[in-house]
Amino acid sequence: MNIVVLVKQVPDLAEEFEVNSDGTELDEDCLSWVLNEFDDHALEEALHLKEETGGSVTVLAPGFEGVEDVLFTCLAKGASKVVKVGDFDVSPDSHSIAAVMAKALGEIAHDVVLTGVQSVADLDGQVGPLLGANLGIPHVSVVTHVSINSAAKTATINQEYAGGVLGEFEVSLPAVLGIQAARELPRYAPVSRVRQLMKTETIDEVACDVGMGGGLVVKKMSPPEVVGHAEMIEGDEDEVSEKIVAILGDAGLINK
Amino acid sequence: MITAVQQEVTREVFLNFSTTAKVVFYVVANAAIIVFFWGSWLKVRKYRRGLPDNRFQFLFRRLATAGSQYVANRTVARRNPIVGLSHSLIVWGFLALFIGTVILTIDEDILGIILPQYQFFHGAFYRWYSVVLDVLGVGFLIGLVAMGVRRGFARPKALDYSRVDRSQNETSRGGFKRGDWLFLGLLFFIGVTGYLLEGFRIAGTGFPEFERWSPVGWWLAGVFQGFGWVGDAGLDAHKVTWWVHGAAALGFVGYIPYSKAIHVVVDSLNIAFKDPLAGKRLPAAAEGADHLGQRDLGDFTWKQLLDFDACTKCGRCHVVCPARLAGAPLSPRDLILDMRQHADASLAFLAPGHEKLANPGFGDATAMIPGSVIGADTLWACTTCLACVEACPVGIEHVPTIVGMRRNLVDQGEIESMLQSTLENFGKKGNSFGKSGRMRARWAKSLPFKIKDARKEPVDVLWFVGDYAAFDETVQETTLKVARVFDAAGLNFGILYEGEQNAGNDVRRAGEEGLFEMLAEHNIAELEKADFKEIVTTDPHSLNALRNEYPELGASYPTVHYTELLVRLIENGSIKIANPMGRRVTYHDPCYLGRYNDVTEAPRTLMALCGSTVVEMPRHGKNSFCCGAGGGRIWMDDSALEERPSENRIKEAAELTGITDFVVACPKDMSMFRAAASTTGLDSKLQVTDVIDLVVEAMGLDLSDSDDKEQEG
Repeated sequence: MNIVVLVKQVPDLAEEFEVNSDGTELDEDCLSWVLNEFDDHALEEALHLKEETGGSVTVLAPGFEGVEDVLFTCLAKGASKVVKVGDFDVSPDSHSIAAVMAKALGEIAHDVVLTGVQSVADLDGQVGPLLGANLGIPHVSVVTHVSINSAAKTATINQEYAGGVLGEFEVSLPAVLGIQAARELPRYAPVSRVRQLMKTETIDEVACDVGMGGGLVVKKMSPPEVVGHAEMIEGDEDEVSEKIVAILGDAGLINK
Repeated sequence: MITAVQQEVTREVFLNFSTTAKVVFYVVANAAIIVFFWGSWLKVRKYRRGLPDNRFQFLFRRLATAGSQYVANRTVARRNPIVGLSHSLIVWGFLALFIGTVILTIDEDILGIILPQYQFFHGAFYRWYSVVLDVLGVGFLIGLVAMGVRRGFARPKALDYSRVDRSQNETSRGGFKRGDWLFLGLLFFIGVTGYLLEGFRIAGTGFPEFERWSPVGWWLAGVFQGFGWVGDAGLDAHKVTWWVHGAAALGFVGYIPYSKAIHVVVDSLNIAFKDPLAGKRLPAAAEGADHLGQRDLGDFTWKQLLDFDACTKCGRCHVVCPARLAGAPLSPRDLILDMRQHADASLAFLAPGHEKLANPGFGDATAMIPGSVIGADTLWACTTCLACVEACPVGIEHVPTIVGMRRNLVDQGEIESMLQSTLENFGKKGNSFGKSGRMRARWAKSLPFKIKDARKEPVDVLWFVGDYAAFDETVQETTLKVARVFDAAGLNFGILYEGEQNAGNDVRRAGEEGLFEMLAEHNIAELEKADFKEIVTTDPHSLNALRNEYPELGASYPTVHYTELLVRLIENGSIKIANPMGRRVTYHDPCYLGRYNDVTEAPRTLMALCGSTVVEMPRHGKNSFCCGAGGGRIWMDDSALEERPSENRIKEAAELTGITDFVVACPKDMSMFRAAASTTGLDSKLQVTDVIDLVVEAMGLDLSDSDDKEQEG
């Protein structure tokens, strides 16, 4: 059973973001990069599948500044092999990632490919569908449960809908699955182990020369504008209701 | 009327013994000695299987400590003078009787055989020998009776063997109690039969005058005379008592290595080999193993295995432990006892009375210990306050053992989610708050002056601010006051701005050794960039890492607590106390300041210089009581506790009369005790105050200009 997990780095939301001078992108200087949380869930689910079915977990990440730390952390969590794909100067968009990963997966055996359902960076959620299309294999998104059926020919997966409704699907393998949540919270990677692995293990590399561009152009980026403050209305029920009526009336929303 | 007869001033060891009887005695005696040495060998073999730990520096001093400890019993007497005296009486009596027996062996069995002309057990020597042993023997019995009364009637909490991690019907510690009474009883029996023997001998041999040097025996002989047990009747009784006494004494010799009595051999050594920095400077993790931390018995050092045998169940750690008092499933005593029973389980038949523990893996030398033999919740309950290590009279180092096993829990992923996300914050951001490093010095923006960046210009004092002081909103107010006081004192100081990260003290104690190394290496690289003479910090946790642990990583800097620096600044006139106030306050010694780093005087001197009167809580100084935040506990869920340690502590302070302030000198304490004062409703009675508040007030420092000046600037 060859399980492949795609991970990528996203800007850490703990930082205070600033927009760059062009007004089209976040200022690179204020960013620090961390593993996308959904991808962490995808890895966690993959590690559980490995424990259940045997086989290996190979983690692929687009080559970008600091990706080595992320990949060694994946190894510390229990990945069998980690691969850096391509080499990017700026954080790649969904189309570029899907393209390089499809190319890399041409050489890497895969029975199932897990990736985070989306990333906090763009809330795009397209890497999975694009990759499925590029590889010509099925894709299922917003997956909350995976079980591999006998002989690894098919997998049964769940999707969660609003109101507690659960959908159960069977998908033929290989397939790409966009993971919403792993069955358990992602495990901890002890730093001692990460540091030990940095000394003993190596990261594989797959060179990929694929142009950037998903067709979208950011025209303007700005922090949300502050337009006013909430007003707390005090008093008993009658006073409060009278004030509300007055405010709505002043705004021309009701007839006084 | 007692009539004395003239005869040689000595006594015969084998009075009226046939050759057969002597042979029987020597066979039994040698058997007892073989049993003793076999048991001792089993212990030594166990220690030899432990990992190496170099405790042999200053060997002479260590052995001298062992000797003086044996005689003086200082650690037993500390905070417990009556127990200390009783124990000393027992030890002195035991030593005297033991040395007396050795002297007899030398005289009878060595000199008597090879150089009989040099035998000395007669005359003046015999008189002194008699009187010394007789008098110390009385002390021995008095000490044993006192201990028995304490154990049987006073029943202090320390001697209550109830477990805290399971109900009483899941285990039985009756064997422990029987073992204790057997030990006390056997010693008492040997002492009493010794006197009876002496009395019968004196009565049987016709009251020789020199035997007045055995006052107890002489008196007993007089009593026996009243019953007519003199002459042959006395000698017959003597013979029976001799064998009873001899059998008990030889039985005791053989029993030592398999029982609580082992402490007479092990404990002074355990004290001698104690690390003076135990817990304060944790050992680095072993490298190259396929697992991290202490997982099975093969991961423990010989000193840890010796620790497990050293415990006498005195319960001092059990009584002071804040986790135990809070209702958490940890008792340092039980942890050590469980480890001992686990290590000895394969030889448990030699020590009947052990508990039958049903923990998975119990007794299997290769079994995983953390999370199975010792529960994960037990290990995570520790606040690393070091009260157990400090209280232990026999040098047991509980905290390093707990942290060693926590390291393995981290490796296993047995971490609660709140702690895990905090550790991830440290990994990403270098602080527990998960905030950007660039926000670390934001608190300083409201100051009317700019604090120097110590990485860019030389300063005298580098202020290592610490996480809580920098990020916690309730503590920032205090941090600003410290900056204002330093500035008013004309101190040339600076900070590292975003270069500083958490010192790693509590990360290390939570068992995340790699993360500690990462943080420490980062801080050391930043400190290397700065030019300064000494480091000051308001945070005792950072102080401990900088003072005790960074030197192991090659970074040795003089580091002081702000209370120490402030005393110096007042004494050299840089700070003028314009307005000393007559407040009555109490002071909470932070664990990492008092117990860990011996700083108990400076804060008190500082408060006195500010005009405050310090009224002490019952638990103060090195005996202070933890707030519950240390060792990573502040990042864990405490909702399962019956009573938070901080609440227990604030109630202790509220018992004092006429106190207005509960003074702290640690940013975590400010956060913990403000919360505790509020949840207990004691905030109306007591104000939680940082020591800097007293300084600001006593200086008459006006802080109202901060906002204006900021605008001017």
